[in-house]
Amino acid sequence: MKEIIKLTDLHKIYESGTHALKGINLTVNEGEFLILLGLSGSGKSTLLRCMNRLIEPTSGAIEIDDENVVTAKGKRLRKIRRHIGMIFQQFNLIKNLSARMNVLTGKLGYVSLWHALTFSMHKNDVAIALQNLQRVGLESFARNKARNLSGGQQQRVAIARALMQNPKVIFADEPVASLDPATADSVMRYLGELNKKDNITILCSLHFLSLARKYGSRVVALKDGKIVFDGTPKEIDKKKFKDIYGEDAEEVEIR
Amino acid sequence: MKKKCKIKSYIQAVATDLLFWIYLFSCIYYLFHNWTGFTASFLFIGLATVLVTALFLILHLSIGRKIFLSTRKKKRWYKTSWTYILIIGLVITFIVGINIVEVDFYKFFTKFQNAGGITSGIFDPSIIGYELSPESIQNLSDGDIPPDVLETLKGIQNRKYSTKKVFLSDIEKRLGTSTFNTCKSTILKAAVKNTDLLNTALTALAETIFLALLATVFAIPFAFILSFFAARNLMPKTWLGNIVYVVIRTVATIFRSIEAIVWAIIFSVWVGIGPFAGMLALMIHSIAALTKLYSEQIENIDSGPVEAIKATGASTLQTWIYAVIPQIISPFLAFTIYRWDINVRMATIVGFVGGGGIGLLLLQQQQLLRWHNVGLLIWLIAFVVWVMDMVSARVREKLIGM
Repeated sequence: MKEIIKLTDLHKIYESGTHALKGINLTVNEGEFLILLGLSGSGKSTLLRCMNRLIEPTSGAIEIDDENVVTAKGKRLRKIRRHIGMIFQQFNLIKNLSARMNVLTGKLGYVSLWHALTFSMHKNDVAIALQNLQRVGLESFARNKARNLSGGQQQRVAIARALMQNPKVIFADEPVASLDPATADSVMRYLGELNKKDNITILCSLHFLSLARKYGSRVVALKDGKIVFDGTPKEIDKKKFKDIYGEDAEEVEIR
Repeated sequence: MKKKCKIKSYIQAVATDLLFWIYLFSCIYYLFHNWTGFTASFLFIGLATVLVTALFLILHLSIGRKIFLSTRKKKRWYKTSWTYILIIGLVITFIVGINIVEVDFYKFFTKFQNAGGITSGIFDPSIIGYELSPESIQNLSDGDIPPDVLETLKGIQNRKYSTKKVFLSDIEKRLGTSTFNTCKSTILKAAVKNTDLLNTALTALAETIFLALLATVFAIPFAFILSFFAARNLMPKTWLGNIVYVVIRTVATIFRSIEAIVWAIIFSVWVGIGPFAGMLALMIHSIAALTKLYSEQIENIDSGPVEAIKATGASTLQTWIYAVIPQIISPFLAFTIYRWDINVRMATIVGFVGGGGIGLLLLQQQQLLRWHNVGLLIWLIAFVVWVMDMVSARVREKLIGM
């Protein structure tokens, strides 16, 4: 099986002095559905954002699909990024634009500025965008403004936008943290479907262990910027769970 | 480290006190000088200041000590009397202020009749102008009006306006209001009506509105482009990014702090008196103001979509177009309309110093002391400003709520 992501001794120290990642070594195979667990502030978001350089890593090596991400600049960085879909907790859609236009923005990494300005005239792009909206069950909402959609619908539009990139990997940063449990499950189901049918590798940070068990093929847990657990979802028992979450939670309560 | 801090705050305390006492002594000196003609050398004042500062610092009465060297220990009453000193300082500031501004409420209440001309003008604006031509004065017979009045009228005509028209307000000024009122109807009968002034005023008003509009429209592209480079969150945190940011922000601030009226003076010399000079003045000021407003709006945007679009592999320009512009377009429009509203108001003032439009007309009429005409112009300006204000408020409400 092909190794699609390879991280070697990855460090991130913020300007404020916070040491968010302390030597992450991680290899992800193609087709895995990897769940990132860990408390808020354990470095999950930093790790995901370092991997497509939304945050600059301090040191270490990142290889995605045999491309060196750390040294990439300008056009090459754009080329790497366009194969990495990203899904956010706050959906991060452009609220004043229609769902269809939001999906089309997923194509920006592929096209010239002029092409981007005249998106609606490119029949081919629009057709693919509609297809992607259909995949997440929102074809009838194509012309609705993003701000008028519900949270779950917005997240599905975000998934369609990621699909528009034709991605090999999707990073999902707590995609269901601001959704109700039922909607959360449906969003995760769409992600699972992409993982199975399209063979897209997914890295998804979560807080719900139940969802991790249901959809994940592998679980990596972070604590204070270090990997403290790496295995299958079934291996997480009460003791392991306490290792990841427990003690800190108690500490928080004391404060 | 701690000791260094202590020294630093001690210096701050002494400096604060020194400044405070220099200010207070200067104020007191100013008052004494005005009232008694007392003079003293600055050296003397300086010396007194230093002495008093030292004395009060030692006595723990000082304000600087309170601000920078405050301790939690309970103080004796005389050590907390810095508040009284502060109050004395404020009272003296107030007295000096009244002196400098030459506040004289007696004048305010007793000299109202000086403003009678303009007040009557406002209550009786000359929408329709009346004028007497030389012929119409010749046609007035002695029976219609008292002979002395007729003589005066002829005198005006001969002396000042041998061939031109005589305005009613000129006659009123010459005859005095009471005499004028008694024979007003006769004079009006002989006078020729016209709406010249109303026409001129409306033309000037249109000029004002259009010059304000053009100033705003021309300012938009400049401010729009500049604002992106003056937004902290869009500029890369490199030295080049910082320099661009600081330079644009500083220049915008300087240009904004120079009032439009000053720009109008400059441009009326540059391109000549007229609406074009006014437009340029308002444009420069608008660019600076809009750049600031726009860039602050950009700094307020949700950074999420920017991150998301960046993550798709979009270029910087694409990111700006897709993630930034949709978020700012309606507040930008709202600010622009607000700016137009401000510009219409400022265009009147700018006209006074050669910027054209209704301001220039107002200045001319005011200098000719034609108060009824001034009244008309004031009403027109007030009406337009009121309408603009209302419309722009409505539109802004709609845009922001979008």
